[in-house]
Amino acid sequence: MTVLLKEPQEIVDAAAGFSQETVRQASAAKNEPSWMLEFRLRAWQTFESLPWPKPTDESWRRTRLTGFNLENFTPFAVPDGTVERDGLEPVLLNALEEMESSACLIYRDGGVLYSEEIEKLREKGVLFTDLQTAVQQHPELVQEYFMTEAVTPDANKFAALHAALWDTGSFIFVPRNTKVELPLHAVLFQGERVGGYHHTLLVAEEGAEVTLVDDLMGAENALQASVVELILKDNANVRYMNLQDFQHTAWNFLTGRAVLGKDADLRWIQVSWGSRLTKAFLDLDLRGEGGHGELLGLYFPTRRQHIDHQTLQLHRVANCYSDLLFNGALKHRARSVYMGIIKVLPGAQKTDAFQRNGNLILDRSARADSIPGLEIEADDVRCTHAATAAQVEDEYVFYLMARGLTRPQAERMIVQGFLQGVLDRVPVEAVMRKLEMVISRKISR
Amino acid sequence: MSTLAIQDLHVSVGDTEILKGVDITLHTGEIHAMMGPNGSGKSTLSYVIAGHPHYEITQGDILVDGESILDMEADERARSGIFLAFQYPVSIPGVSVANFLRTAVSNVRGYTSKEAESNANGVIGSNLMPMREFRRELNTKMKEYNVESSFARRYLNDGFSGGEKKRTEVLQMAMLEPKFAILDESDSGLDIDALQVVADGINKLATQDRGFLLITHYQRILNFVKPDFVSIFFGGRIVTTGGPELAVELEERGYKWVEDEFVARAVAV
Repeated sequence: MTVLLKEPQEIVDAAAGFSQETVRQASAAKNEPSWMLEFRLRAWQTFESLPWPKPTDESWRRTRLTGFNLENFTPFAVPDGTVERDGLEPVLLNALEEMESSACLIYRDGGVLYSEEIEKLREKGVLFTDLQTAVQQHPELVQEYFMTEAVTPDANKFAALHAALWDTGSFIFVPRNTKVELPLHAVLFQGERVGGYHHTLLVAEEGAEVTLVDDLMGAENALQASVVELILKDNANVRYMNLQDFQHTAWNFLTGRAVLGKDADLRWIQVSWGSRLTKAFLDLDLRGEGGHGELLGLYFPTRRQHIDHQTLQLHRVANCYSDLLFNGALKHRARSVYMGIIKVLPGAQKTDAFQRNGNLILDRSARADSIPGLEIEADDVRCTHAATAAQVEDEYVFYLMARGLTRPQAERMIVQGFLQGVLDRVPVEAVMRKLEMVISRKISR
Repeated sequence: MSTLAIQDLHVSVGDTEILKGVDITLHTGEIHAMMGPNGSGKSTLSYVIAGHPHYEITQGDILVDGESILDMEADERARSGIFLAFQYPVSIPGVSVANFLRTAVSNVRGYTSKEAESNANGVIGSNLMPMREFRRELNTKMKEYNVESSFARRYLNDGFSGGEKKRTEVLQMAMLEPKFAILDESDSGLDIDALQVVADGINKLATQDRGFLLITHYQRILNFVKPDFVSIFFGGRIVTTGGPELAVELEERGYKWVEDEFVARAVAV
């Protein structure tokens, strides 16, 4: 009988489905101003007008959505209020304690669960707040930057869905020449079987400096369609880490773009540990001369995980530097896809651009596809790209074993070494240590 | 005193027999030089002693103090006191000398618990030699064996010159303190200064509780390291064994002499 009692609720949820009405409900539940509702409704139209990805689309040729159905998810989560620090679950408390931060925000079930020290930052004029609050308190800033500069709702089907239904999100605004010493830390723990649409909107004004860490967890059998927007004005310096460690049953779609002004300096670490399937579009958009952008990726799919990164290094103007390095290891029947383009527009002379993707295949049944590319319309540039796929060399293992390492230790060391090129460039030591632990865990399982 | 005994060892790769009945006994406290032309199977012998899985042992045995080590994996042999200095040490990007060596030393000295050893999921760092203690010893030995202290942080053999690789091999030997060290052409490709440094390292390590099998193509290193015995290796077996004077004679008369004097005669018998 108790089982029967639970069923009607589930039926209602499924029947609610995804529709324009859902968008209205989502907005009403948050008590939003009308301009945001209108924005959402326009985005919903965009979502409806865009076709679902097809295997014939170049971006989706190697990443199929077999088994994906929107109707399997509750369209949006309903927040359950905030808690005190000692009310946090161990996994969240642990995430906070792993790293020293200036301030932190934890999101759960579509809302803020906990925040710390965000008021203190305001004294310096730095905003680190959840996006819902920003919509209410800083509408002019949100209207200026939210999905207008970096990622627009029509970027792809999932970005449009995100724009229509976005729920949690961080808004970071660092004023001119202001430096935030310790990292800002945002943690998302997404619930089960629900749609989540997490947003990161970071605006660093001229000469501002900030480090942001996004920790993404949970999402058992869930859908996450997130958007990351990093806007760097002239001379801004941003270190951004997106650490995705969802359950291996999550469907994860990410659209991210960083826009760099003159002499801006960005290092973006994209880590894709979790999800059953990830499709991430990641763009560096160099709009001002002297821009310096680094996009570094790590992935390590196991079992039947499928991880797809598609990148764009867009050099619009002269004298910019971009360096991309994505390294991944693959186990069992896992699959990875890397597709990348360095695009140099006419006039972007003296471009210096690198793109490298390395794959270490640990099992014969794993597979890595790597499709690097160049589109160059300027004549005085230096662009290189390289893709490698390697196996753990028997001679490496023998050498290490001959010095007393066990086979698992030797293999672990080789894999860790392979990923070290990216790990070495992780700007926060606590994050580096945490990543090393995950790698160790992944190798063992 | 410990003994490494190789008895009537026959080894094949596929259908090709490479070692054709090798007999040699090495005691701790001895330096035994093994000289032979290229392609005679010297490196194969060193790999087989260290436990390389690529080779098939068709006959014979390798014993440490009377116990066969043939069923042991390479890492077990290392932990039982066998060390192979490679002719061509591999480069492993991303793995620092210090990090790797700390794990190796911890295993060989028994810091790794039995549970962690038998458990394939044993986590690195569960039973390591304490960092401070390790650092102190590594720094001391790096000085002693002429390895720059910056090498601790560098990736293992990555971008090292030939001499740097060989010196790092000697450093590893010094840290692992084996009972039996097999040095596979540790002199090859070195200029005279680098050779001197490597030879000094070997001499420092040549104590009463350690035995050396010094595999070499040339007599050159024997000007710096004095062997107790010299064996000549030819066509997959040892054809003769003598004192240091044999190396001098070989240097003067060449491998053709060996072939005429020992190999032809053996066939005639």
